[in-house]
Amino acid sequence: MIVEGLKAGYKLQTIGSSEEVGVYVDAVSGVSFTLYRNEVFGIAGESGCGKSTLIKAVYGYYEPSLVLRGGSARIYGAKGEEFDTTRMDRGLLEKRVWWKHMSYIPQSSMNVLNPTMRIRDHFAEILRIHVGMKKGEAYQEARKYLEEVGLPVDALSAFPHQLSGGMRQRVVIALAILLEPSLILADEPSSALDVINQKVALTLLREKQEALKNTLVIVSHDMGVHGVLTHRMAIMYAGKIVEIGRTADIFWKPLHPYTKALIESLPRLGDKSKRVGLSGSPPDLKKPPDGCRFHPRCPYAMLICSRAEPSLREIKEGHYTACWLYSEAVGEPR
Amino acid sequence: MPNREKPSMVKGLKQLLKYIATRTAAYLATIFTGVTLTYIVVKAMPVDAVENILFNIISVTAVYDPASIELLRRNLYEILGMGGSPVESYLIFIRRVFTFDFGPSIIAYPTPASEIVFNRLPWTVGLLLTSTLTVWVTGNLLGVIAGYFRDRRFAKVLESVAITLYPIPYYIMALILIFLFAYLLRIFPLGGGISIIPEKLNLEVILNILWHSILPAASLILPGALGWSFLSSRTLTMQTLAEDYTRYAEARGLPRSHILKRYILRNILLPQTTVLALSLGGIFGGALLTEIVFTYPGVGQIAYRAIFSGDVYTLMAVLFLSIIGTATGTYLLDLLYPLIDPRVRYR
Amino acid sequence: MGTVTESLRRMGKLLITLYMGNLKFRIGFTILSILVILGFAVSPFSPTNTRSWYIVPRDRPPSYEYPLGTSSMGRDILWELCASIRNSLTIAFVTAMIASHIGLFLGFIAGIRGGVIDRILMFITDTFIIIPGLPLLMVVTTVLKRYLTIPTLGMLISIVSWPWPSRQVRSMVLSLRERTFIHTAKLSGMGTFRVIVQELMPYVLGWHLINFTNTILFSIGTESGLAILGLSILDDNTLGVMIYWALNWGYALFRGIWWWLAAPVATLVLVFISFYLVSIGMTEFMHPIARR
Ligand SMILES: Nc1ncnc2c1ncn2[C@@H]1O[C@H](COP(=O)(O)OP(=O)(O)OP(=O)(O)O)[C@@H](O)[C@H]1O
Ligand SMILES: [Mg+2]
Repeated sequence: MIVEGLKAGYKLQTIGSSEEVGVYVDAVSGVSFTLYRNEVFGIAGESGCGKSTLIKAVYGYYEPSLVLRGGSARIYGAKGEEFDTTRMDRGLLEKRVWWKHMSYIPQSSMNVLNPTMRIRDHFAEILRIHVGMKKGEAYQEARKYLEEVGLPVDALSAFPHQLSGGMRQRVVIALAILLEPSLILADEPSSALDVINQKVALTLLREKQEALKNTLVIVSHDMGVHGVLTHRMAIMYAGKIVEIGRTADIFWKPLHPYTKALIESLPRLGDKSKRVGLSGSPPDLKKPPDGCRFHPRCPYAMLICSRAEPSLREIKEGHYTACWLYSEAVGEPR
Repeated sequence: MPNREKPSMVKGLKQLLKYIATRTAAYLATIFTGVTLTYIVVKAMPVDAVENILFNIISVTAVYDPASIELLRRNLYEILGMGGSPVESYLIFIRRVFTFDFGPSIIAYPTPASEIVFNRLPWTVGLLLTSTLTVWVTGNLLGVIAGYFRDRRFAKVLESVAITLYPIPYYIMALILIFLFAYLLRIFPLGGGISIIPEKLNLEVILNILWHSILPAASLILPGALGWSFLSSRTLTMQTLAEDYTRYAEARGLPRSHILKRYILRNILLPQTTVLALSLGGIFGGALLTEIVFTYPGVGQIAYRAIFSGDVYTLMAVLFLSIIGTATGTYLLDLLYPLIDPRVRYR
Repeated sequence: MGTVTESLRRMGKLLITLYMGNLKFRIGFTILSILVILGFAVSPFSPTNTRSWYIVPRDRPPSYEYPLGTSSMGRDILWELCASIRNSLTIAFVTAMIASHIGLFLGFIAGIRGGVIDRILMFITDTFIIIPGLPLLMVVTTVLKRYLTIPTLGMLISIVSWPWPSRQVRSMVLSLRERTFIHTAKLSGMGTFRVIVQELMPYVLGWHLINFTNTILFSIGTESGLAILGLSILDDNTLGVMIYWALNWGYALFRGIWWWLAAPVATLVLVFISFYLVSIGMTEFMHPIARR
């Protein structure tokens, strides 16, 4: 998949309190990246930096307040069909793209199953609508599939509230993989779970990805998840990608000061020295700072950082960052 | 592993029985208290029924002998069970409640009160059952559609209509309808249940009855179907639309008609059955004012006449039916709802 | 008392915010204000006694001299209407003052104390809910016919008006009780009463205002219902009583004196719609999901 200059954000309209009328939250501000087949791609960043918004924008799922402001997001089907989700209307996406070529696991998956429908019907309706199976056939298929992904078959006749949180999460993951799409967008697929369930859920995702050789995007603020699971990853800060590269490079040779701070703050085995976190807090996306959005907190900030925005540049092979420190043109102006 | 609650069968059954037992006890207790309270109030009515009947009998039979009048009076008190102390007559009344024999009526002495009420019941039940069901079905359908397409023009128009109709009591609506259709346009009759004397039930009689019940029914249906039923299902629909599970169903590319049916309708019909059960329970109470305004021959008319002639027993028969109806509606709902809605359990 | 002035101040602020921010509330409130002005500021200037008969020519259709016409009872309908608005609103206000506060009090106690007290109170409430209200009131007004005045009628109607507010407040308190801040307040050693007043009141107050409005609606409806049946204060002016005389004594429709009936009916409709708009305006404000 190729994402180019994607811009999206929230238009706020609050009745009554005059200050918020017409405010725009610049949550995804010109994001570009490319994903390859058969890879697990991670997106990391602090809470509120726009990870979920990016996923929703790529998926083409715009809630009333979320608006697209530019850019493109092209995805490729298994046979090489190209779809630009930013150019397609809702009906077309529903019919052609969603679930067949691309599926989505939302951030809070606890309440995403219909409380009045049995689990088996959640599977069956997808098979019937997207594949055109008959009801009986769909039920059989659902049973076969659940066995295959290692979910207990008696969950099929349960209602969502009868399942534990971990089970529900696995059901949602199983739903997302059901039609074997070429791209799976998983937004914090494990963060609401305890350690054991987290591992079960992530293993399910990865095993399926290995079998299907498709693209899996995992959003998580937990760097541990990225370290174990992802091949390449992107670091987001305040609505922008500040660094992209192989996960190993990001962990061992981070370029951007923000990434460095992020990596350094991770606890490490045998290292008892005290970690110095970043000072300050991320900017308000309603009025982001000029220039590099990180400059108010950056220990290496230069004059130019508050004036002009650095673009994402390839510094080493396959390792990109958006930072003036790595620009050849760093002639300190004036 | 599935973390499903699987209490042992015995424990579950015990819990269920306990639930049913407490609900049943509360049900019977509210009915008993309600009936007793009503009885006390009704007994306080200043109109003396015995003197009423006495007056009628005297004027018909022309008996003026004071001794026979006194005898008659004492007999009447006896028959009506009104002679003894208040406690005694209360006990007599309670005994009668159990057999649904409320004693002789006064408005049509000596026809039994329960017989009068049962004769009128089909009129009221027919009118209210039809209008309640119509209200429920159309109101919900319109509400779901208006909630789902809330930004469309027709949805906004419907909402304004509903907001205007909802707060208007049905009897004021009745007056408006009479004014428009019976007075201005002269389409429908001004009142009555039927305008020909029925010898036997034939098509003409039925059509005539229907013709007379159109305005009364409309006065109940309009504020209902375009009022509470519509508004509540519209609000529920909008709430359901905002739920994570509906939005995720959209994100899975499921078509609108499917989401409307399996996600929205299914989730809002459950709470809406509550309302239906309660309003069905209220049917026996009748729509007293509609019946009066349209001179429609239902139980409401009977209650009205009973109040003005101090007919305690007939009035109690009507009120008893209505209390039983409402209480039973709630009771059955409490028992059955957990069966219909998988989200709710017996507590 | 400090809390009372504080509550009033809060309510005043709420009203202003509502008026500025919610269209439905604004429309309802405006119509309502006009009705209140007609009833309380204009009606005292009535040139005639609106309760006497045959003081103006009978059965005159609306004209320059009699903007709303005159009735068969020889009354100027405009002035009778103003007096009726005043009385109907007064009755409803009395009912709402009594019933919604009983509801608030009982609902609060039931919700806060829980246990046996809750069960007893809810049992009483449920009993009152299953008793058919209108017939009961009909009987009560027949019994107390001699004592009926504008305020006592309002009091009588409150007999059947308190159970719903009570249930509403109770469920409100129950759901609020589960929220963490109440637990924190309890843990920090505030007495139960202080917890109620300081932590819960601000939340319940808004709903109380809605209950109050709805009770007014209910009371006006009930009074006009009773009046149509001839069980209201027939020698005074209320909107329902006007309808009663027009229908049962004047046969206004049979005789074509439609304006006699139209004036009170149209006014009632306006009263209902305006109070309802006020009520949903407040609900939408309190419960934003209904807003979209
Ligand atoms: N529906 C919304 N309306 C308005 N603003 C929103 C909405 N959802 C998110 N935002 C704002 O957009 C910005 C990005 O939010 P987003 O949910 O994409 O962050 P995130 O990186 O996914 O955070 P988290 O790790 O907490 O999930 C935040 O500042 C947030 O406050
Ligand atoms: Mg997120």
